[in-house]
Amino acid sequence: MGAGGSYGILPAVGFPFDARAAAAFADEAAVARHDAAVWGLRAKRDAAAAAVPDFEALRERAAAVKDHALDHLDVYLERFEANAQAAGAQVHWAEDAAALRAIASGLLAERGITRVVKSKSMLTEECGLNPHLEAHGVEVVDTDLGERIVQLGAEPPSHIIVPAIHRTRAQVGALFHHQLGTPAGESDPERLMAHARRDLRRRFLDAQAAISGVNFAIADTGSLVIVTNEGNADLGTSLAPLHIAALGIEKVVPTLDDAAVLLRLLARSATGQPISAYTSVLTGPRPGGELHVVLVDNGRSRLLASPRHRRALRCIRCGACLNTCPVYRRAGGHAYATAVGGPIGAVLAPAHGRDAASRELPYASSLCGSCTAVCPVRIDLHAQLLAWRSEAPALPSGLARAARAAAALLARPRLHRAAGRAVRIGWPLLRRIGARGPAAAWLAARELPPHPGASFRELWKRRPRERPR
Amino acid sequence: MSAREQVLAAVRRAVQHSASHPGAHPAAPLDAGFGAFATSLAEAGGEAHGPFAPGALGAAVLAHARSWSAGGRIVAEPDAAAWLGPGPFEVAREDALPHDFADVAVAIARGVVGVAENGAVALCGREAPHRSLLFLAERVILLLDAAHIAGELGSAFRALPPGSLGFHHLTWISGPSKTADIEQTLVLGAHGPRALAVFARRE
Repeated sequence: MGAGGSYGILPAVGFPFDARAAAAFADEAAVARHDAAVWGLRAKRDAAAAAVPDFEALRERAAAVKDHALDHLDVYLERFEANAQAAGAQVHWAEDAAALRAIASGLLAERGITRVVKSKSMLTEECGLNPHLEAHGVEVVDTDLGERIVQLGAEPPSHIIVPAIHRTRAQVGALFHHQLGTPAGESDPERLMAHARRDLRRRFLDAQAAISGVNFAIADTGSLVIVTNEGNADLGTSLAPLHIAALGIEKVVPTLDDAAVLLRLLARSATGQPISAYTSVLTGPRPGGELHVVLVDNGRSRLLASPRHRRALRCIRCGACLNTCPVYRRAGGHAYATAVGGPIGAVLAPAHGRDAASRELPYASSLCGSCTAVCPVRIDLHAQLLAWRSEAPALPSGLARAARAAAALLARPRLHRAAGRAVRIGWPLLRRIGARGPAAAWLAARELPPHPGASFRELWKRRPRERPR
Repeated sequence: MSAREQVLAAVRRAVQHSASHPGAHPAAPLDAGFGAFATSLAEAGGEAHGPFAPGALGAAVLAHARSWSAGGRIVAEPDAAAWLGPGPFEVAREDALPHDFADVAVAIARGVVGVAENGAVALCGREAPHRSLLFLAERVILLLDAAHIAGELGSAFRALPPGSLGFHHLTWISGPSKTADIEQTLVLGAHGPRALAVFARRE
């Protein structure tokens, strides 16, 4: 099994990001594959954005729509609730992950339901719904192909749009061989999908309930907008008599027109498609069925109260910031050990969790700003990451000492000059010490630049004196 | 305090009610022709046929449906059947249950609006009440009035007939079911239909 199988299993939580990323780096071929795969998505996003004449104006509009909705969230939540109820849905509220878990398992237990199909929902990942339901005797089958692959492999998704992007076809083939009885050595994606389709079709027809996430909720109509390419959410919700929809409170927008703006950006930013295959607007339960919507806070109202970090709630979970991030592309999603990885995951983690592991994630960034450049709702992700570093410092002690030393040095010009001279003289020595000294780990993946020959001060003094004409 | 009050109270403390709504997006106008729609649909893995004169539509659709069905069940929504005229297909019964369509080879339903920029067609619960039929069928044929194509999604939403959200579902479908979850290899027919064709009618 490659790196994909040996790291990133949930027990890795607790080890620092660096250690998890280093585990990923051990398989250089897997890193290169992952990098190429997600960068391919970024390239498709660029082409799709370029094909829409007013793409940048759409981004502006989307950001403004979300800012308005978030700043009036109480109004729109109540409006959504009233209209959803009028359409026949039942609306529940969950203040945290435990409340969502309790509501969902309660609804299933009341009806004696033990067979559930689930479509992709990062919120239920965030809230640990699957393990909870399984502990209560419910068989939960993830139906998105990528989610099914990671479920069979007993590992978390590594990408919010392409959950099994860290897996090769050969690895998926081996997994299916052991779990679904496909022929040994079968690794053709089309034939593997055909096997998964047969297995899952039976489960769709047999399911007593469908659990889904929600992409957007419409306050004016009480509708849920659910987007998939596979049609798995649609098969689940059109067949099972009970539909439980887990809805993050930040997903409510005022009108269908507002959702249209966001929908024109979502798939283009995610996979480069102009729209996903299926965009379902569900209003009330299916004929003869029940619809239960659970509005989940779980830290979102706390983020809403922060003027600095509120805009992170604009996120529509497209994954564009993951695909472009030089750190995510190499380290992979499992290094983050959170439901959502990449830049947006590193911004959301310290807001949701107060543990050291999530405070550390804002450091998993070069602050290059590529994430900010592609975000369809214009979240200033790199500025958010920087802000979290100052608000929730979690510098490893060595780095903290180095930062204090640098601050002391930079505040004393004479000392700074002397130190510079010492470094230039001792350059060859530095290379040798570096490989073993306290900065060894840092230098392991970095080359010292070539010797500059002179200091900036010296170069400045020697500059040609004539003024530009 | 109930969870509802607790969440709403926290939200109320956090908001200022000051960020104004930007208004409707003045979308750049896009080509709303059937040709542009057909191109987008082909990119989404589907196929567009027509537009046909009303009298010729039924024969074209049914020939296609027969070639796709390989003798299997062809089921049309009543509204679509009215467009097709009589033919060798079943009309979905009003009281049919979602699971009744598990073995359907070809489903035929009428969409209300198409979108040129992405090849999507809106299916509404009013004209297509049997939602599971659209996903259980091996292949799907959608009927569309060629005059009812919008350039971009925003104007397509506004072009929906009034009350279109009052029938449980409004589903935008762009091509067949698909996945690229194994090494980014596109596979058509993930869980739902393996193929999708749109037959357009002109007045």
